[in-house]
Amino acid sequence: MLRLDATKMILSQLKDEVVISNLGPTTDELWIAGHRDRNFYTYGSMGLCSSMALGMALSTNEKIISLDGDGSLLMNMGALATIARENPKNLVVIVWDNEEWCQTGHQKTHTAFSTDLEKVASGCGIEKTATVRDIESLEGVLIRALAEDGPWFINAKIDEGEEYPVMPIEPEVTLWRFRRTFTDIPTGHLTAAPEARP
Amino acid sequence: MPNWAETIAEELKKKEISLIVFVPDISIDRVTSLLESDPYFHVVAATREEEAIGIASGAFAVGRNAAVFMQSSGFGNSVNAICSLAIPCRFPIPIFINLRGEVGEFNIAQVPMGRATRPILDVLNIPFYTLDTDHNLDKTVGGALKLCYSSREPVALCMTPLLHGGKLA
Repeated sequence: MLRLDATKMILSQLKDEVVISNLGPTTDELWIAGHRDRNFYTYGSMGLCSSMALGMALSTNEKIISLDGDGSLLMNMGALATIARENPKNLVVIVWDNEEWCQTGHQKTHTAFSTDLEKVASGCGIEKTATVRDIESLEGVLIRALAEDGPWFINAKIDEGEEYPVMPIEPEVTLWRFRRTFTDIPTGHLTAAPEARP
Repeated sequence: MPNWAETIAEELKKKEISLIVFVPDISIDRVTSLLESDPYFHVVAATREEEAIGIASGAFAVGRNAAVFMQSSGFGNSVNAICSLAIPCRFPIPIFINLRGEVGEFNIAQVPMGRATRPILDVLNIPFYTLDTDHNLDKTVGGALKLCYSSREPVALCMTPLLHGGKLA
């Protein structure tokens, strides 16, 4: 299963749900698969994609889909414990598990050896988990995850395909555009004290 | 006369900051416990401080104001999250930091990071205000929060034992 094909399949199943993407190829390929105002692209901060998704899930009732990576999640596995503790029903974490740090030279990650991220998620207390190895299986679990309460953790084993150009949108533009779909107050300086509002 | 913890809670409410993410610290437990007991706030315990920056950023992205509480040692853990997420995306996140290594410190291991915290904030060009007295605390905290949202950048509030009395003896 190639990440770009799987990303296109995911977008084909969505309406207005949020997708937040891990840095690097996951973000670049989300952009190529189809830009939406509800895509939140990240640019750095390895390990924080699903933590950001948790903050979103705790602050809106809408479904939040995190497209994380094995190397990134290994850097912040505590995120899974916090997700389990907070138990947001509207959060779906999908990990693109290519068993390597792709961008840094294809070094093998721990998931190429003994680490099973689905078991880690399950051990943290996330009840709805799956590991999938092809697009049809991913699609089946995703349809359930969109319809049923979560949190969901889906480990998707993928193969690396070709490299694509870097997603071109500026970080602060991403935040401004994305946030505007949730509030008519898109930037911080207008969100100050209630008494300051017209 | 409200105590320092009540003053901080009140200023957070005035700016509609209702999500709090923290990694525990005994010296500022008084304020984080107060926030946990108040239904206005949803308080999330993170396993590590960079995770806290991520959660707070996610909340703001969908329209909810969020602040983080941590110790200076944890500020060290969160520097890259602040540099690679909060600053380039312009997330206004108030960062409350309990400074270790201040007057009354008993643990040599806490001194270097505590002492380095404000210089690091300075080179990152993050405004910081030291909270070491009840005097004008409401104005300092409220003003710093206002600056945070008007600049759309993180602002740090550094608490010392002279404010909260922790570990002074």
